[in-house]
Amino acid sequence: MPVDYANLKPGQVVSQQACVLDAATVARYVEAVGDQTAAGPVLDAGGGARYVPAMTVAAISVRGVVNDLQIPGGTLHLGQEVEFTDAVKVGETLTCRATLAQNSVRGGQRILVVILAVEAGGSRTVMTGKSTIMVPP
Amino acid sequence: MKEGDALKPVTREITQERIERYAVAAGDFNPIHIDADFASRSHFGRRIAHGMLVAATISEMMTLNYGQPWLRSGKLKLRLKAPVFPGDTVTARGQVKSAKEETGTRHVACVVEVVRPDGEVAITGEATVTAA
Repeated sequence: MPVDYANLKPGQVVSQQACVLDAATVARYVEAVGDQTAAGPVLDAGGGARYVPAMTVAAISVRGVVNDLQIPGGTLHLGQEVEFTDAVKVGETLTCRATLAQNSVRGGQRILVVILAVEAGGSRTVMTGKSTIMVPP
Repeated sequence: MKEGDALKPVTREITQERIERYAVAAGDFNPIHIDADFASRSHFGRRIAHGMLVAATISEMMTLNYGQPWLRSGKLKLRLKAPVFPGDTVTARGQVKSAKEETGTRHVACVVEVVRPDGEVAITGEATVTAA
């Protein structure tokens, strides 16, 4: 069913998804962005484990918003805030929740502000954030 | 690093191939990034990179400069000001704005930006990190 953006209300949970940050998922992300720190010692978590680049978590959390809100072609990303509160290891399961904070129209363009919250392992908050997007009319 | 010091920068070529790989990795298939016909009718007249793809260079720069504390305490506040086009080589750069020590913990705030080859600032913002 198409999303009626005009009827989205602040406080409404617009996306909730779980995903495993397995090695293949992280590798696809790292290859895409070209992150040179990904293979280096800085992301060594000890015992053979690896941390994921921090923005992997943000990208995955925004993915839920893009999919569940059925973001239309031409939508622009205007602003992004993130706060990382714990490192995430390759293989961890993330739960990403997005809640609408603001829904307004300026100059004929709809502006949505979405609050992001990401937990690992079901209870450990690893990232919070805020995305501001402009949806075409 | 102390106040006024420049961060080690990150430079990256944003190719169309990279944008398409990012679309798959991030599940963001907005045609403004991947469909030349659609993008030609947009305000920009051509395809543009995902903002989060370009913003990733800032997080990489902070990891490069501050290591694992960035993964555990990094904060970013970014404004995406101008598009990055396929073929642009962008540079993420930054400077320490303040560095304060409080009860054994070091709080660092940096001004950060991503600059296009034509000198236009694509992303601007602030990054903060706390280290023991």
